[in-house]
Amino acid sequence: MPFVNKIWETAEAYLNGTLSESDSVALKNLLNTDLKFANEFNECINLLNSLADSAKQQKFRNLLQDIEAENNKETKIKSLFTRIISITKPYRKTAAVAATVALLTSTITYWIVTPSIKKNNSQYNIISREVEHIKTEQKNQKIAIDSINKKTTLQPAPPSSVKYTGTGFALSNDGYFVTASHVINNGKFDSVYIQNQEGEYFKASLVAHDEKTDVAILKVDKKNFHFSKGDLPYAIINNKANLGSQIFTLGFPKDEEVYSEGYISSKNGFEGNEMQYTLELPAQHGQSGAPVIDANGNIIALLTAIGMQGESNTYAVSTKALFDLLENTPKINKIHFGKTTKFSKLSREQQIEKMETYTFSVKVYKK
Amino acid sequence: MVSSINTDQQILTALAAGDRVATAQIYRVNHPIVNGWLIKKGGTSEDAADIFQEAMVVLYNKVQDENFRLTCSINTYLLSICKHLWLKKLQKLHKDPVSLFDNIEDTEMGNGSYNEDINVHKERELHYEQLNNALDQIGEPCRSLLKSYYHQDKSMQQIAKDFGYTNPENAKNQKYKCLTRLRKLFYNEQAK
Repeated sequence: MPFVNKIWETAEAYLNGTLSESDSVALKNLLNTDLKFANEFNECINLLNSLADSAKQQKFRNLLQDIEAENNKETKIKSLFTRIISITKPYRKTAAVAATVALLTSTITYWIVTPSIKKNNSQYNIISREVEHIKTEQKNQKIAIDSINKKTTLQPAPPSSVKYTGTGFALSNDGYFVTASHVINNGKFDSVYIQNQEGEYFKASLVAHDEKTDVAILKVDKKNFHFSKGDLPYAIINNKANLGSQIFTLGFPKDEEVYSEGYISSKNGFEGNEMQYTLELPAQHGQSGAPVIDANGNIIALLTAIGMQGESNTYAVSTKALFDLLENTPKINKIHFGKTTKFSKLSREQQIEKMETYTFSVKVYKK
Repeated sequence: MVSSINTDQQILTALAAGDRVATAQIYRVNHPIVNGWLIKKGGTSEDAADIFQEAMVVLYNKVQDENFRLTCSINTYLLSICKHLWLKKLQKLHKDPVSLFDNIEDTEMGNGSYNEDINVHKERELHYEQLNNALDQIGEPCRSLLKSYYHQDKSMQQIAKDFGYTNPENAKNQKYKCLTRLRKLFYNEQAK
C-alpha cells in the first residue's frame, strides 16, 4: 500500500483494525523512519478520532435533551432500576485529547463504532396511522357523553370506520387547514373530519392537494367556523430554515396530543429532495401533517415520513411546497394566514398551549 | 451494598454505550437532587438543567474508558461534579462562593479528582469547539458531507446519492479531500 498517497485510507484502516499484517509492519517502519509522514499520520488519526468522538458526544447531548424534555412532561416516575440493560455494544477507548506519535506500538484495538455498523438501505415510511375500530368507538362514546354533559350541539361523529389519521394545523382562522396529502389518501376518501382538543368533530372538504410534494389544503365545511378567537398566533414562512435550527412539533400519534422537539439535520430531505428537510426528531405514525415550528413560532414545514426503523431521521415537507400549492390554486383568493408570529417571546410551554387550539387530529374515512 | 455497586457498574457500562434506558434512569434519580440543591443555593431550574447536563457529559466521557471504576456512587459523583461546576460558574460571575458548601462537603471537596475531571472536560470541549469551527470553515459541500458521514451515520452509498456523485468510491475520494482540508484548518485553529 502506498501509504503516503493514501494517508486517509491507511488511517481509517488502521483505526478499523483492517490493515493486513504486512501493511502493519510496513507502516510501522515508515513511521519510524519518516518523521514528517509520522506527524501527518498522527494528525489524521487524531482528527478521525476527534470527529467520531465529538459526533458521539453530540448524540449523547441530544439524548440528554430528549430525556429532559420527556421528563418535564412526565408526571409519573416509574420504578427505578428494574429494567435489564443490555451491555453488548462494544465501545472503544476515548481518544485522549493529545495522542502520541507512538501509535503502532500500542496493542489497544480501536473500533470506530459508528461507521462500521452503518445501515445502507434507507427506507421511507409515511407516518399516517391506521386505526383500530375499538378506539374510535370508545372516543365516540366519550363524545356522546361529553355532549350530554356539555349540552352543546355537536356535529355527529362519522359512522364509518376510520381509515387513516394524521395531524393538521390551521392555515387561516376561518377554517382552512393543512395536512399531508397521503393522510387524506391523496383525495381518494369518502369523508374527512377533524377532531379538536374538546373531542368535537368537524367535517371538512378537500381544497387542493399535491401528491408529489405531499401537501394538502382542506377547509372545514361548517359556516362561520373559527378555530379560535383572533388571528393565528404563528406565522407560516417561506424561507429555507438553517441547518441546526431547533424545532418542535405537536401531533397526534395517539388520541392525545404529543410534543416532540429536535433540530434540522439536513436542508434537504429523503434522497436529497429539496422540497423537504431531514429532521432529527422523534415521530410516529399519526403525526403526518403535523407542523414543524422553529424557536420563534414560525411554521417552516410539515411532517411527512420517517426513515427506516432504528434510524432517527424524520422527513418534513418545506412550507415552500405549501406556498407553491396556494399559488396554483386560484380558487382560494384570500387566505389570511399569520405573517407575524406572536409567540417568539413566550416560553415553550406557553407556545404549546397556544398551538393546541390550532392543531388537531385529521380522520379520514373510507367505506 | 454490593448489589448496588453492581447495579451502578452495569448502568455505567450501558451509559458508556449511550443506552437510552440507562441514561434516563440516571437522569431521573439525580436530576431532582441536583435541581433541589441548586435552587437551595440560589440557582434556577435552567441553571440546574445546564449544569446537570454538563455533569452527565463528564460522566459519559469518563466511562468511555473501559478500565474506569467509580470510587463512589453515581449519585455522589454527579452531585459533586455539579457542585464544582456551579462553584466555577459563580467564581466566573465574581459572586461570593463561601456560602456554597457546608462543612461535611468540604472534606469531600479536598479530593482533587473532581477538579481534574472537570479540567479534562473543559479541555475536550475546547478541542471539539475548535473542530466544529474548522468544520464550519471548510465550506460546502465538505461541511455537509462530513456531517452526513460522522454525525448522521450515513453510508457512503447514501452520501453519493445525496450529493450527486456517480458512485460511493467518488464520494469517498471527495470525503478524503474534505478531510485533508479539515486537517489543515483544524491544526491552524489549534495553533491559534
